[in-house]
Amino acid sequence: MSSIYEYIKMAVHNIMANKGRSFLTMLGIIIGIASVIAIVSIGEGTKNQMNSEISDVGGGQIYINCSSDAQTDDEWILPGDIEAVRAMDGVEGVSISETYEGETVTGKGNFKLYVTAEGQDAKLINNANMKHGVYFGENEVNEGKNVCVISDSDAKRLFGTDDVVGMTLDVTCYGLTKSFRIGGVTTQKENGTFVSYTYEGMPVTINVPYTAMNDLTGNMDYFYSMTIQADKSLDTQKVADEVVRLLEKRHQSAGEDYFQVQNFQDVMKSMNDMLGMVTAFISFVAGISLLVGGIGVMNIMLVSVTERTREIGIRKSLGAKTSSIMLQFLAEAAILTAIGGIIGIVVGIAGGFGICTLISASMEMTIQPGISPSTILVATLFSCAVGVFFGIYPARKAARLSPIEALRRN
Amino acid sequence: MEEALIRVVDLCKIYNPGENEVRALDHVNLQIDRGEFVAIIGQSGSGKSTFMNMLGCLDVPTSGEYYLNGTDVSTMKDNQLSVVRNKEIGFIFQGFNLIANLTAIENVELPLIYRGIDRKTRKQLAVESLTMVGLEKRMHHKPNEMSGGQQQRVAIARAIAAKPPVILADEPTGNLDSASSKEILGILKDMHKTGKTVILITHDNGIAAQAKRVVRIMDGKIESDLINEQFDSEEEDL
Repeated sequence: MSSIYEYIKMAVHNIMANKGRSFLTMLGIIIGIASVIAIVSIGEGTKNQMNSEISDVGGGQIYINCSSDAQTDDEWILPGDIEAVRAMDGVEGVSISETYEGETVTGKGNFKLYVTAEGQDAKLINNANMKHGVYFGENEVNEGKNVCVISDSDAKRLFGTDDVVGMTLDVTCYGLTKSFRIGGVTTQKENGTFVSYTYEGMPVTINVPYTAMNDLTGNMDYFYSMTIQADKSLDTQKVADEVVRLLEKRHQSAGEDYFQVQNFQDVMKSMNDMLGMVTAFISFVAGISLLVGGIGVMNIMLVSVTERTREIGIRKSLGAKTSSIMLQFLAEAAILTAIGGIIGIVVGIAGGFGICTLISASMEMTIQPGISPSTILVATLFSCAVGVFFGIYPARKAARLSPIEALRRN
Repeated sequence: MEEALIRVVDLCKIYNPGENEVRALDHVNLQIDRGEFVAIIGQSGSGKSTFMNMLGCLDVPTSGEYYLNGTDVSTMKDNQLSVVRNKEIGFIFQGFNLIANLTAIENVELPLIYRGIDRKTRKQLAVESLTMVGLEKRMHHKPNEMSGGQQQRVAIARAIAAKPPVILADEPTGNLDSASSKEILGILKDMHKTGKTVILITHDNGIAAQAKRVVRIMDGKIESDLINEQFDSEEEDL
């Protein structure tokens, strides 16, 4: 083993003797490793952020919708269904969520509106945090009260302030106008990157009891969809299946597939899959740059073998075996790539943090780069493998030189 | 009778076998005993460099046998030859052949590294042999910080560091001025006095005359093999 140490020493000596060239050789490896690590960590970070946001909003939620060409009461969700589902074990709340387009005029101008008609458990389903006032509940829904809830940011757009509880809002839908008293203001979720994101000119959303919308739309006795909050400790899929069975029993439509389940886990999974694929693809491209870096190492090592032919001859005449020369050159290639790999890891982590900070700043969200030890381990092993693999050919070439041939050359 | 240190039997080296073949060595027979000081002299193209490569185990003969220290090395493989070179032979080249980015002591340590000697012993042996050639104050200089004579002394120190029985010097004074040449030859003579077998390859009669035995090579054959009568008397003069 002591001789291995000697070869490593020789290799380090040579690398240090050609600092500039050694650094340039490493650059390819540095860029390759750094880009792989940065991309994977940003991808992981985005995935983590998305998952935490979705589970914040949608954990344990089940969304059931009817077919879009539903024609009869058998195919629609009826108010009675909502009550029945609500009474089930494992169901914490049920709401409907039918959105209509409308408009309103305030001191700040004309605004487009999204009026979302909801049931009594809307606060729970929306996971709403109140800033002012209260969300409407069972009483308001049963009595069809003209109250609404608005988010603080939308309130500011309409009135310039979010302290708007008690104010009235004239809502026009289908040519009819009706006044709603603002009963509560919710806190717009911060970092709500993927779930709620406001832009200039985006319609203002207000939430109202569905019973209050009947005057305007006249169709509040059947619904296209409902959202169920299941007990989070239960298997969401199981609860969803039971809900569908209950609905099919009530509508005597077993096997007709009128009611379809969509839960957020599916959405989460498909989004994760997509993101994973994008990350894998970009990593693959970055991996190619690592390969090119490895070929760079091989190239320089070959040049080095040619330049040092005489040195190899001298060493051989002094008793160096083929394996000694081979180990010396292999150690040189491996150390070059290992150092390149370490620098690459540091640059990659720094780059991951940098780019995430940049994204966070420019898009009003927070992404923490997800740097896992396994990524770093794989990257390190890979760079060492690249070094050894691309070092073998030049090292063999060096080791196979005959001593007289090598000594004869200048 | 004790086996000679070097015994060469019918040694041939043929380049380009076939119609245009070149017989660099043509049935050479030679015996060198322990403790001899032999000069091998010949013009360029005489085959003396080929012979030196054979003696130094840097090349293998086309036919014939070469017994070094009792072992037939003519049929050995590359790696075995490396071991033989390391243990039995100390090379001194015309162009010094020091490794440029290593200091004097690091150069001297090289054969000891390949021998697998531990660091402490290595340092000790290297310092010892550098002292013998009078370079104890220049141990940490690199070759380009030294004169030609000094570089050749480093090369000699490297050749003797691993204490091989044979010193093989190929035109050791070829690149040196006369003062340095004299110095180097003096050291080689000292080596001989300490019991080493010194083989000096040269084309210069004046230098060959310094050795005790002169072997002349021409056209790949040994032309003459003479004992230098003046050698002993010269030694007595010193």
